[in-house]
Amino acid sequence: MIQVHNLCKQYHGHLVLKGIDFTIQKGEFYGLLGPNGAGKTTTISILSNLLQADEGDIQIAGFDLKKQSRACKQSIGVVPQEIALYEELSAWDNLLFWGSLYDVPTKLLKSRINETLELFGLTERKQDKIKTYSGGMKRRVNIASAILHQPKVLFMDEPTVGIDPQSRNLIYEVIEKLHKEGLTFLYTTHYMEEAERFCTKIGVIDDGKIIAEGSLSELKKLGNVSETIEIKFNEVSDLALVKLKEFWPKGDYSNSQKFLFYSTEVHQDLAKIILKCNDLGLDILHIEIQKVNLESVFLQLTGKQLRDA
Amino acid sequence: MIKFVIKDLKIFLSDKKGIFLTFLLPIILVTLFGVIFGVTKKREPRAQVLVVADEDQSPTSKNIMAQLDSLDELEIIRTTSDSAKAMVVKGDESVIMIFHKGMADSIRMGAQPEMELCYDEAKKMELGMLQSALMAKLMGIIGNSQIQRKTLLDFDKNNPQMDSQQRAKIHQQIISQFAADADTKNTKEDKPYLKVSALVAEKENSPMLVQVVAGNSIMMLLFSVVGIGASLLEEKQEGTLKKLLVSPIPVNQILFGKMLYVNIISILQLCVLFLYAYFVFKLNVPEKILPLLLMIIVTAFACSSFGVLLASIAKTKSQVQGISTLIVITMSAIGGSMIPTFVMPAFMQTMSHFTVNYWGIQGFYDIFWRNLQITDINFLGKVAVLIGIGCLLNFIALTMFKRNVKQLV
Repeated sequence: MIQVHNLCKQYHGHLVLKGIDFTIQKGEFYGLLGPNGAGKTTTISILSNLLQADEGDIQIAGFDLKKQSRACKQSIGVVPQEIALYEELSAWDNLLFWGSLYDVPTKLLKSRINETLELFGLTERKQDKIKTYSGGMKRRVNIASAILHQPKVLFMDEPTVGIDPQSRNLIYEVIEKLHKEGLTFLYTTHYMEEAERFCTKIGVIDDGKIIAEGSLSELKKLGNVSETIEIKFNEVSDLALVKLKEFWPKGDYSNSQKFLFYSTEVHQDLAKIILKCNDLGLDILHIEIQKVNLESVFLQLTGKQLRDA
Repeated sequence: MIKFVIKDLKIFLSDKKGIFLTFLLPIILVTLFGVIFGVTKKREPRAQVLVVADEDQSPTSKNIMAQLDSLDELEIIRTTSDSAKAMVVKGDESVIMIFHKGMADSIRMGAQPEMELCYDEAKKMELGMLQSALMAKLMGIIGNSQIQRKTLLDFDKNNPQMDSQQRAKIHQQIISQFAADADTKNTKEDKPYLKVSALVAEKENSPMLVQVVAGNSIMMLLFSVVGIGASLLEEKQEGTLKKLLVSPIPVNQILFGKMLYVNIISILQLCVLFLYAYFVFKLNVPEKILPLLLMIIVTAFACSSFGVLLASIAKTKSQVQGISTLIVITMSAIGGSMIPTFVMPAFMQTMSHFTVNYWGIQGFYDIFWRNLQITDINFLGKVAVLIGIGCLLNFIALTMFKRNVKQLV
């Protein structure tokens, strides 16, 4: 659905994108993750035809962005970071205007607006001015305005920033519904839980380059990050501690009653560790598995927290 | 493009402050200036004093003096030419009229009548008002007697053998017929020779009324279009411009949509102001509807292009407001919105030609004061200049917008 090859962009002598390559298949949910200033928004801006790349080739829905920009624009929906709506107009009028830009016949457009408002739980407030809406409701209209023309790909640039949990959950549900219906996504976010929840493929971008790409499990392997088995004991003798360290050297034994065992194959390794503990006569009080998350993978890959300024 | 206009109109109509500033504020200003300059309708017309010095002392000059004096709207003060000139020098009077010696002969010979209007140069405006009205009246009186004289001469030339008694009798009949014609004409046409309403304050379409309505309307229009043009920068601030640019709509259409919207509001604003001037100040709008509509459209076009140009050059809304206030006030001052250009020094009058205000105001003068027809070349010239200004500014605006649009987002 999207093919990006050797994308380069320079701002005032500073290279912001240094040859980005990625491919998004039809129906895929692609997450573009990176710290602030990594090049996420620049990439999306170029793909939206808002900025022009200095170098590189982009194909969207089979159209060349340089030569067939109008067809590309018609194929995409863009949900920008900021809420881009007319505050003095109602939700209905906003949607009518934004939808009309994509040549959707008026009758069909009105029917889609009604459906979309229903989907986002805004039907009852559709005639109210946007300025009377809460931040979460505005975000919902912001997203709704990008899908009225039924795009083939939806670009979402941090679409849930600064909203209440209720609106966020509603948006998550809508996103999942749209994805199930086959819509392709290009998604940037700072929220790990969003990326872990939605993304079928993740591109980690740092300093203008894609440094890693794949599904979450593929990234874990790439980052060589272990999961953690945490076990609390009633009492551990010195001899038992020595034997345990010999059996499982990749661990943290600094806390006398709670040991951490690192593992890349946690389901297989958990059984081995429990059996050994039983052999040593240790009294297990509690077991907890700390799964690897994207945050730790990201940290491992880039050396930075995802939300680094 | 229409989608943009509908959207912007909806936003405009939801903004009550905007509507007030666009329509009511100019009306208030026009009213205020109208009252200050005394163009409101008065129930009792006030007679204008005209000092006349008759050096000729002929029956013709006395007849003209008597006819002028018979007008209710004119109060003639007779004096000598020295005394009359002294009144102007002292500033007691703005304009005086002198019938020079030989005036009757010059009229009889069909030459330029030996009469002169002397005025205070600092009060040119009063001269302009008086001159136009007096010329119409005087030409009526003098023209009539000249035709009568020519008819008598032609009769004598064609009938050289006629005896003097018979000739005198026929002369008397011709003179009576001219008098009867004049009376009939006066009765039928509501005494057109006696109607010198330009000399009183309530005259329809007085130059000051046209000046107040046209001058203020164009100035306020310029302020309005700048505000509306700045909505382009609001789109930037609110992020909607970015969203428009990622839509399949061509960049040009975004600006054209804004231009069309500004034009519609400008036309509406001018229409409202001229309708107001019609109802309140009795500006003769219905009889001038076609040239007025044409002038409103081209003036709105030129003014709105100015607003769009500013919006396409500036980077922020506050920049637009700062620059525009300076430019609009300067253009309005030079272009004749605040004071008529004919009271300005010569070089300022030349400068005024570089403003939208000048061409717009002069166009409205053509319609309401000079009574030019829509087909008149002078009127159409001003229409062409305003269209030219609009096209030029819009072209620059479009070029700048396309160049700056990526920076805008």
